[in-house]
Amino acid sequence: MKDNVTGSSASVKTMRERDMQKVSATQKIVKICVQVALYLFLGVMALIILFPFYWMLVSSVKTMPEYSQSIPSIIPHEWDFHNYVEVFQNEDLLLGQLFANTLFVGVVSTALSLVITVLSAFAFARLEFKGKNLLFAALLATMMIPGELFTITNFQTVHSFGWMHTFTVLIVPFLVSVFYIYLLKQNFQQVPNELYLAAKVDGTTDLKYLWKVMIPLALPTLISITILKMMGSWNSYMWPRLVANDDAHRLITNGLRTAFTSADGVTDVPLQMAAVAVVSAPLFLVFVFLRKYIMKGVSRSGIKG
Amino acid sequence: MKRILSTILLVAILTLTLLGSLTSCGGGGGGGGAAPDFVMPEGGFDTSKEVTITFYHSMGAGLRDILDDAIEDFGKIYPNIKIEHQSFGDYDGVRDQIKQEVLVGDQPNLAYCYPDHVALYNDANAVQTLDIFMTDAVYGYTEEQKKDFVAGWLAEGAAFGDGKMYSLPLSKSTEVLYYNKTYFEKHNLSVPTTWDEMEAVCRQIKALEGDACIPLGYDSESNWFITMCEQYESDYTSAVGDKNFIFDNETNRAFVERFRGWYQEKLVTTKALNSNAYTSNLFTGSSTGGTRSYMCIGSTGGTVYQQPKMVDGKYEFEVGVAQIPQINPAKPKVISQGPSVCLFKKADPQEVLASWLFAKFLTTDINFQAAVSMNNGYCPVIKSVIENPEYKAWLDTAGTSNLQAYGVKAALEHADSYYASPAFLGSSIARDQVGLLLTKCLSEANASDIKAFIKSAFEDAVEECEYQAGQ
Amino acid sequence: MGEKIKSFFAGLWQNIRTFFKKRVWQGFCVNVLYKKFDRYKAWIYLLPAIVLLMIFTVWPIFNTVRMSLLEGYTSMKAVRGVEFELGIGNFTRVLKYKGFINCLKNTVLLTVLTVPISTFLALLIAVCLNSIKWFSRALQTIFFLPYVTNSIAIGMVFAAMFNMILGGGVRPDFVGVVNIVIEAFGGDYINWMNAGSEYWANIVVMTVYIVWNALPFKILILLGGLQSVNKQYYEAAKVDATPRWRVFTRITIPLLSPMLAYVIITGFIGGFKEYSSIVGVFGESMGPAGNHYALDTMVGFIYRAIGNQEGTASAAALILFAIILVVTMINLYVSKKKTHY
Repeated sequence: MKDNVTGSSASVKTMRERDMQKVSATQKIVKICVQVALYLFLGVMALIILFPFYWMLVSSVKTMPEYSQSIPSIIPHEWDFHNYVEVFQNEDLLLGQLFANTLFVGVVSTALSLVITVLSAFAFARLEFKGKNLLFAALLATMMIPGELFTITNFQTVHSFGWMHTFTVLIVPFLVSVFYIYLLKQNFQQVPNELYLAAKVDGTTDLKYLWKVMIPLALPTLISITILKMMGSWNSYMWPRLVANDDAHRLITNGLRTAFTSADGVTDVPLQMAAVAVVSAPLFLVFVFLRKYIMKGVSRSGIKG
Repeated sequence: MKRILSTILLVAILTLTLLGSLTSCGGGGGGGGAAPDFVMPEGGFDTSKEVTITFYHSMGAGLRDILDDAIEDFGKIYPNIKIEHQSFGDYDGVRDQIKQEVLVGDQPNLAYCYPDHVALYNDANAVQTLDIFMTDAVYGYTEEQKKDFVAGWLAEGAAFGDGKMYSLPLSKSTEVLYYNKTYFEKHNLSVPTTWDEMEAVCRQIKALEGDACIPLGYDSESNWFITMCEQYESDYTSAVGDKNFIFDNETNRAFVERFRGWYQEKLVTTKALNSNAYTSNLFTGSSTGGTRSYMCIGSTGGTVYQQPKMVDGKYEFEVGVAQIPQINPAKPKVISQGPSVCLFKKADPQEVLASWLFAKFLTTDINFQAAVSMNNGYCPVIKSVIENPEYKAWLDTAGTSNLQAYGVKAALEHADSYYASPAFLGSSIARDQVGLLLTKCLSEANASDIKAFIKSAFEDAVEECEYQAGQ
Repeated sequence: MGEKIKSFFAGLWQNIRTFFKKRVWQGFCVNVLYKKFDRYKAWIYLLPAIVLLMIFTVWPIFNTVRMSLLEGYTSMKAVRGVEFELGIGNFTRVLKYKGFINCLKNTVLLTVLTVPISTFLALLIAVCLNSIKWFSRALQTIFFLPYVTNSIAIGMVFAAMFNMILGGGVRPDFVGVVNIVIEAFGGDYINWMNAGSEYWANIVVMTVYIVWNALPFKILILLGGLQSVNKQYYEAAKVDATPRWRVFTRITIPLLSPMLAYVIITGFIGGFKEYSSIVGVFGESMGPAGNHYALDTMVGFIYRAIGNQEGTASAAALILFAIILVVTMINLYVSKKKTHY
């Protein structure tokens, strides 16, 4: 320290440089250590996140006797894929039918929902009418209310419509999502109004304008909505269970929860795990291919499924 | 253009008023849903007009074929009655479906039922009482036919506290004690007839086998509790009076505490406590963990599951079937289960009469009764079924290789021991709750004061029943 | 009734058809009518949404309030023609009922356990992910995986992992992988979720599962927040040689506070609506064998009452709504004070 005060400016400079070097060397070590710790922590967490998936896959290829050993094996002794065959042949599960039902409900409700959402969002974003803001505020307010509150009455309503055990009951009540309207409205509003006015002067109809200009511009949002909606019908459990829990209309989650207890009450866990894997596979595929849209949609929506 | 706006407004208002009227009709106080009481039409049953009736049940494919045969036979007697039938998977499926249909007055003509289902439908005033038919000179049962019924099973239809008849038994099952005959003979054990003997036998087996065994499995906790109430003649439920749920009493708490001791010593287990797998798994040795049992109390409707594994073309052991243990062997009590059939009110008396005729046919036709019994191991409800030669031959083969017949035979021998629990809105709640109560008490390992624990568990169960029944 | 509905819809259809034939279509095709149509077309675009919302959202709100105020309302009784008295009996009945209090307790307990744990873990993971160079993308994908799963299906996997079949012997007949790990570390088996298991063990299982399930969404939001933080703040901190943890508490957390508030608020709302994850692990008995409904939640309570006790179900739903509203208000109030935008 003394040198610093009394020494020439040059020596001060070299001392500082040396100090800096020293510091940066230790800094480097610290930095590496920190990085290693980070990777360790993330690695452990990633393993914890992945383990249930691993366990599902491993259990699904075990035979029932191996699975029921009092101490389960971490790696199966023999790989037995017959569960995957059986899952599709199981008469209690009727997986093909479940897939078909779920897909049908998902596609139809997504398509209809998109039409309704686009029209409403367009009205809110581009058109002027009396009470627009009031109406929109009222819509947003309904988002506060937990869905369970609606379910009680909706159950009675669909029932008095005679919709029980139909696909209609799985599709119609959830066609309108205020949140999607809101999301899309924000998106539409980013398109400059001049574009619309110019189109109007040209005599382009609203629908044409929607189709040619707005929809292409809002495509990422629409894709996000589509995916979320599809995931919704893939994961929906309670409403289908209440209103359409028969073989012809049952959706996949319900089938999964109830199908695996054999007549003598023993759950065939490996078969069950195979079914879970098969059911999860489409979601994973969608995720792999459309990761960007899902993440974008999710980060804006804040809703699960 | 004002028209457009007014149309929209109109639509909105219409929607709201329509919905309002719908729910006030379905909810307010219209009461238009229920059909009138049946009055015997003048001139009796009209055989000239075609009438279609619907029957809801939970039959599997095999039973449905048998039902179709019966419908064909019935059609020979009443060609103008057309019967449509539909399966809803299980009893609860039938109940849920009908419950919804009752709300809009669209119920079937007749259906599989359990007593509490009848009470439920009757909450909407939808069930047709049967007394008017039973005693009818033309369409009712003859004295002979009435006597032909197993009395305890017929009485179940009139256990609603008002003395009226609401349902007819269709096919029934009971609980019996299955035991490992080979093992019992080898170790010179005697089959227990009382619960005290049962305890002794369990201890003997436990001493012989050590840890890897639970001597006795009891499949249904609810049945166990209810049957013990009957055997002790202690209170369980009441269909009349302010208090329906009267099972919280000294006697009941005492037997629960006793059985808890058994469970904690690993002398006994139940389905719920056996990871929800039927205890027959332990009995037949197909349990995944290798734990064995040597006795099993289960339904005669599930006899096939008591069948031991085949080893070298032979059954691993012989199965014996006996009456379940009793408190008072002089006055044995065993439960009766299985579907009954009830009729629903309809605007057209001809429809109701037709459904009665069909119900009567199903309960008196020995071919149908025999075929059902041979298919699923349930008991026929009339004794004269034995006149069917095929059925008699089937019964005679009773043994380990034909356990179903063995079970049916045992159930028929108990004909005088059947009791009927009171049926009312909430009787199934009580049934569920006592099952849960028993399981909860048996599995409680840590309570320092077990008497206090049991007492509060009983109180909770009664409270739960009363809440759920809306009291 | 059926006729009524039929004629109503027939009428509606007729209306819509003539409407489109005469007015709208011409409105589109003929420019003369265009401007007049213009004034009302917004309503036409909104029509499907409004009609559906009227039926399935607005009406239920009114009806729920109505049913909750009719003493002892059930649809079965209503069919029979029972008149219901007006009153707050349903609310007092629900609030006095042990089963409901139990649901409330479980819901609150699971929420206050899972929201802080998952938020903290998510924050930690997000910060780590933000400060590594390699594999960031791959790890992000892994951490997002639980989001695209079916919560009931994966609940079954968790059940299989925690399961333990007791059997008759000294050793259980079957031991799940979690207990194997515990044994490997020298601990005793714990009965997590089977008959006779204790309440705290059940809660631990559910907490683990719910946190696992809630992580991806929170990580995603927080990571997004971190990546949009202006790098200048960190450069400035570097020049000042501020220690890491101070950077974290003084810069990262404040800058991230809007996102944190967001995940905490949505976490609370989601927590109060917890249901299907419990069904996934424990099945519809909502508890271990012998202790059904031990883990029942508010939403579970409401669902079980649908179809037989509409009055109390409505009261319970309104209570749930009130709780969510109050908690959200508190959250917003706190975050307004603490959040730096």
